[in-house]
Amino acid sequence: MNVHHVWLIFHKEFIDLIRDRKTWIGAFVIPIIVIPFVVSLLGSSMDAIRKEANEYIPLIIIGNTQHELVQQIRKTRGVTLLESPDPLQSLRDGGVRAVIEIPRDLQKTLLQGNSANIRIWYDPSNQKSEIAKTIIQEAFTEYEKTIVQQRLRHVGLSYSTIKPISTQFESVASDEKISGSLLSGMFTIVLILSLASGGIACATDLIAGERERGTLETLISAPVSANSILTAKLMAVMLMSGISALASITSVSIIFSLTTLEGQSAPFTLSFLTVPSVITLLLMIILLSAMFAGVELAISTLAKSFKESQTYLTPIVFVAMVPSYMLMPLNPVDIPLLYYVLPIFNGVAVFKEIFFGELQLAHALMAIGSSMIYVLIAITLAAKFFSREDLLVK
Amino acid sequence: MIELESVKKSFRDVTAVEGISFTVHPGEVLGLLGENGAGKTTTMRMMATILTPTEGDIRIDGFSVRTHPMEVRKRIGLLFGGDVELYGRLTARENIAYFGRLYGIEEETLQNRIDELSGMLEMGDYLNRRVGAFSRGMKQKVAIARALVHNPDVILFDEPTTGLDISSASVFRRLILDLRTQGKTILFSSHNMGEVEKLCTRLVIIHRGGMIFEGTIPALREQYGTNDLDEIFIQAVGGGKRN
Ligand SMILES: Nc1ncnc2c1ncn2[C@@H]1O[C@H](COP(=O)(O)OP(=O)(O)OP(=O)(O)O)[C@@H](O)[C@H]1O
Ligand SMILES: [Mg+2]
Repeated sequence: MNVHHVWLIFHKEFIDLIRDRKTWIGAFVIPIIVIPFVVSLLGSSMDAIRKEANEYIPLIIIGNTQHELVQQIRKTRGVTLLESPDPLQSLRDGGVRAVIEIPRDLQKTLLQGNSANIRIWYDPSNQKSEIAKTIIQEAFTEYEKTIVQQRLRHVGLSYSTIKPISTQFESVASDEKISGSLLSGMFTIVLILSLASGGIACATDLIAGERERGTLETLISAPVSANSILTAKLMAVMLMSGISALASITSVSIIFSLTTLEGQSAPFTLSFLTVPSVITLLLMIILLSAMFAGVELAISTLAKSFKESQTYLTPIVFVAMVPSYMLMPLNPVDIPLLYYVLPIFNGVAVFKEIFFGELQLAHALMAIGSSMIYVLIAITLAAKFFSREDLLVK
Repeated sequence: MIELESVKKSFRDVTAVEGISFTVHPGEVLGLLGENGAGKTTTMRMMATILTPTEGDIRIDGFSVRTHPMEVRKRIGLLFGGDVELYGRLTARENIAYFGRLYGIEEETLQNRIDELSGMLEMGDYLNRRVGAFSRGMKQKVAIARALVHNPDVILFDEPTTGLDISSASVFRRLILDLRTQGKTILFSSHNMGEVEKLCTRLVIIHRGGMIFEGTIPALREQYGTNDLDEIFIQAVGGGKRN
């Protein structure tokens, strides 16, 4: 291998890639514009649904519509009472969120000190109806409490007699952890996917594409070793996938610091960025991009055509998604040790820890060490294919 | 100088060429003729160390393609016709310079050399434009300049005039004759008999991977008893078929 040759080829590939719209659209524009757009769109549409479900709650009350409980329900924020000749059909059609039947003899039952049964129909397949159910339950609990208080007063007791314990939950997690728990999954997926996908267009173009256009043949007839050519190409693919990764986490950070997602209880902070975590993050990005680049170049060499290479490389994104989704719901403390040495899984696990603000040195070392082995395997494989004359000639 | 010694190349179960032996001396232009699929490109790829011979050996200026591939590569200039092999997003100058640098040419020498070649090939003002939009003939000129940028001793041109118009083809022929007077060793394949007659000092005809003729054009005419080279070629490969 000749460093000067590697630099010459890398430099040329870089200029060539920069001028190729489809490569950098894949590596930059998609992560920078599309990902934040999708995330915020998703967030705002979820917000919109939640808002509507809470601010407009059409209900139908049948039976004793004059009872004071009905007034209580009517006063609940967002509730609108409607009427319908067929209340249950209206519920099924989604026109109302729930139907409540107040028994005719409710007042009598309550005065007698007995327990009344109120039937409520709702539609569990409709998310808004589910939300209405919760709101109705809260209203009823509130009303129930006033009845209980009245009855207790009647016999000279206070409410605390039957409610001797009250509970109050306090959070012990720091802001960064709360923000991390929700966002670490999101960050990790975006990062792994952009690492896997960022170099695909480039890897396809640099070997299968060059071979198809005939330039590869000319290049290997120049006094340059196959290893120098492959190293330069590997660096170009790594660069694209690394840039794509950095672009996507930057854009996701920006979007998260500007908007608040549903369920996000604390503001987004970048406080998970400590020196060791930044070093680990960058090292893992480099190692994973090298591994993906090696595999992608090996496949691009093995494929018979440009088209075939694209077809074989697309599933890599899905392969990368599996570990992301498998580990997504897990809190870093629940991730089994084995995952820190499995390919791709190790990246997902360590990225989660980093974004969670809980990076453990032992885990980082396991992931880095095992990744080095995978990089070696991927590059050896690529070099092996790239030395086969039958794979280099059209 | 190019020396081929009983060269054979097999791809798995197919034998593409076999028993090819000939020599090309400096100052000579050897025409490599043969029908489609005869084995011309395969033979040239072996000379350029892109493929390794299954049997036999090839020496370029005394260096074996088996033992000294890097020395061989430094000495040859290679051009495959048909689909022109250039980087479409680079300019003509960048394409030529890229290879010049890979061959280790100093930057100043390189830029002068590119200007010289551009003048010789009448490339005019499109030197600094991206080659992606070029016509086939324009691309071919860039590819020729790229193949000659390091001033190689041995020149391998595979169907170099395919796609060139009459005046470009004539510019190209003048260039070949020029290179011949400079004492270069030139091998080129062609399907154009008129061109072969104008340029070549000797011919090798390959048919179905085997050599069926080696000699000068007058010797070929004498052997077949006619002046019409197209007719001779058809007879030659037809004769080969009967064997
Ligand atoms: N990489 C390869 N794998 C398998 N077979 C090949 C390969 N390259 C060439 N061949 C076969 O070798 C034979 C010679 O092909 P070659 O390209 O050398 O012919 P050619 O004389 O250059 O033809 P043309 O005039 O069409 O360019 C053909 O039968 C071809 O199918
Ligand atoms: Mg050919």
